[in-house]
Amino acid sequence: MENVAAHDDWKACFSEAGPGLVLFARQFVRTSADAEDIVQEAFVRFWRKQHPVDNRALLFATVRSIALDLLRRDSRRARREADALADSDQHVEPQFDELDESKRALAAAVDRLPAEQREVLVMKIWNDLTFADIASVLNISQNTAASRYRYALGALKKNFITHE
Amino acid sequence: MNDFSELEAELKQLRPAAPSPELAKRIEHALEEAPATETRTAGVLPKPKIRVNWFTLGLGLAGAAAFLLLARVDVDPTSADGPQIAANTPIIGEALPAPNPDTVQRGYVAEGVTRVVYTRRDEGLAFPGDSEQPVRRVRSQTHETTQWRDPSTGASLRVSYPAEEVEFIPVGGQ
Repeated sequence: MENVAAHDDWKACFSEAGPGLVLFARQFVRTSADAEDIVQEAFVRFWRKQHPVDNRALLFATVRSIALDLLRRDSRRARREADALADSDQHVEPQFDELDESKRALAAAVDRLPAEQREVLVMKIWNDLTFADIASVLNISQNTAASRYRYALGALKKNFITHE
Repeated sequence: MNDFSELEAELKQLRPAAPSPELAKRIEHALEEAPATETRTAGVLPKPKIRVNWFTLGLGLAGAAAFLLLARVDVDPTSADGPQIAANTPIIGEALPAPNPDTVQRGYVAEGVTRVVYTRRDEGLAFPGDSEQPVRRVRSQTHETTQWRDPSTGASLRVSYPAEEVEFIPVGGQ
């Protein structure tokens, strides 16, 4: 009898995609713990469905779908958390490792991007998805995906220079 | 030339925070709970098939067939002592005897026939038998509905059925 966890293939796949997936999930929730919950559910679902491991677009679409489901299911909690964050200037867990002053400012500028631009940027820069993949994840055209990416970079450049 | 190449390079230098080691353990634990038929191949191997116990299935079907046969016998309204419905079925176009007011009996009278032609196809010339005279073969598909009515009770009976008709029409020389 074959056991899924007896093989290390999923580990190789997860060690490669895991950080990017958690970063992507963080675009929907405020804490790493919530992001990891989403990634866990998505990854397990993806692996159990026996999809081709190189179908990254589907993996990201699964993460996004679960994250949006969670937001819809728990919208009251999300509102409470957002209110608490707004009221208390609470420390938000960093999404990136080892940040110096300049990189922290860049990360903050990324955080200030509109959500639809930020998710495209995250998939493109830190997960190496093609515009075709991104379009498939977001159910938009490739041109729209590319436009959002350009807008994100443009806004980032402007904001980053402003805040530097 | 990409205006953003410098910015893209700078962004790539930001390294996403690594997931906690617990996440991998949780995934491993969750995958261990997966059904044994699922494998690591992520789609390479065929999906598990449902196993059918043919003996049990056959037994079940035989039982169901026997039940239906018995049920058919039990609920069949045309028993030997009951009314003979077939005897009341009129021939199309032929009126049954008018009801006798002294001995009220049920009698259906043919009320009308409707014939709807759905398709009519000319299948070309044919030479039926050894005939040298060609005929044109025309095939029609129709739906016929015949209705009977019992004047004494007002009950009516309608029968619809599809029909196909082939006509041989002699072809005249010119």
